[in-house]
Amino acid sequence: MSEELEHSFIEQLEKHQNIVHKVCRLYTNNQDAHNDLFQEITIQLWKAFPKFRGEAKFSTWMYRVGLNTAITLYRKKKRTINTEAFDAFEFKIKSEEYDDTEEQQLKLLYQAVHQLNDIEKALVFLYLEDKNYREISETMGISEVNARVKMNRVKTKLRTILNP
Amino acid sequence: MDELDLLKKDWQKSDSNYPKLSYNDLYKMILKKSSSIVKWIFIISIIEFVFWIIISFALKDTKSMERFNEYNADAIIIPLAVVGYIILAYFFYLFFKNYRNISVTDNAKILMENILKTRRTVKHYVAFNLGYLIVSVIVVLFIEFDQDPQIIAQVQKAAADGEVLKFYAIFILTTMLFLAIAIGVLLLFYWLVYGILLGRLNKNYRELQKMEV
Repeated sequence: MSEELEHSFIEQLEKHQNIVHKVCRLYTNNQDAHNDLFQEITIQLWKAFPKFRGEAKFSTWMYRVGLNTAITLYRKKKRTINTEAFDAFEFKIKSEEYDDTEEQQLKLLYQAVHQLNDIEKALVFLYLEDKNYREISETMGISEVNARVKMNRVKTKLRTILNP
Repeated sequence: MDELDLLKKDWQKSDSNYPKLSYNDLYKMILKKSSSIVKWIFIISIIEFVFWIIISFALKDTKSMERFNEYNADAIIIPLAVVGYIILAYFFYLFFKNYRNISVTDNAKILMENILKTRRTVKHYVAFNLGYLIVSVIVVLFIEFDQDPQIIAQVQKAAADGEVLKFYAIFILTTMLFLAIAIGVLLLFYWLVYGILLGRLNKNYRELQKMEV
């Protein structure tokens, strides 16, 4: 592939890399796994880039490839869930502007989200990224109504995890 | 306030907390090789095709097959072989067609469906081979019983001893055992491949399907 294409791709990826980091944040539990998934998403984005024709925004296109890689294509190298490392990772990454109670609540919320299944995580991810139900339904391949119904169920599930 | 909205507020503020990879870091990443399940599915599928092609050639070169060629059975064996190759070509075409349809830019459900469809082609091919193997074994046995002088002599000897039923029973049981082992090995292989490679995909696909009910 031409250098020009390579350059254009890396420049755009560099600008929007947070999208990939955020996917990794939801789907992995520690730094190693985060890096590994980041690597695979980058490769998948690069492989698909020649077919990217700019009909959608680069960032929108990244959501789709990123989630597809996390949900479907990615093979986890380590199967064990290292929650200790996950806690440390979350602690490092979290925002610093909240008071203790809110901070604690957020930590629990992130942990609860990590307990959801892959599909539920994808819905939560798109919701957190402020995507509307049409975009969620198009990314996942389900109807808008079902995306809405499922989202409500996920909210209920999160509440149950938080208040057993 | 909704729990998710609280999370959303924090999530959207967190942009500055992520590591910033440089142009060079990203450049190094695109040079690396993918380890996605699609790549593994491709490799395993090709191995399966090659395996069955080797099996068919290996069977052809055995001594018993050479002896078999001397019988007047071309009318059955040649069409059987031709059908086998046509079907192999068809499955191969179908496999590549489905494989090329796999696109990471499709929506999640279509992507999963296309991967499963590709895998299913290979599964059907293997099932076909198994069926083909069973039919071939039966056809070969019939011809052997009909034309192999050694076997005919053995049948006649067994008949003279009054043990013709025992003779047939042993023959049939041995054949069945051989086929059962072949099927067992294949089932084990599929259980492993589907368990390791496609377990997660199947689970996620079922989850998406469940939403549409």
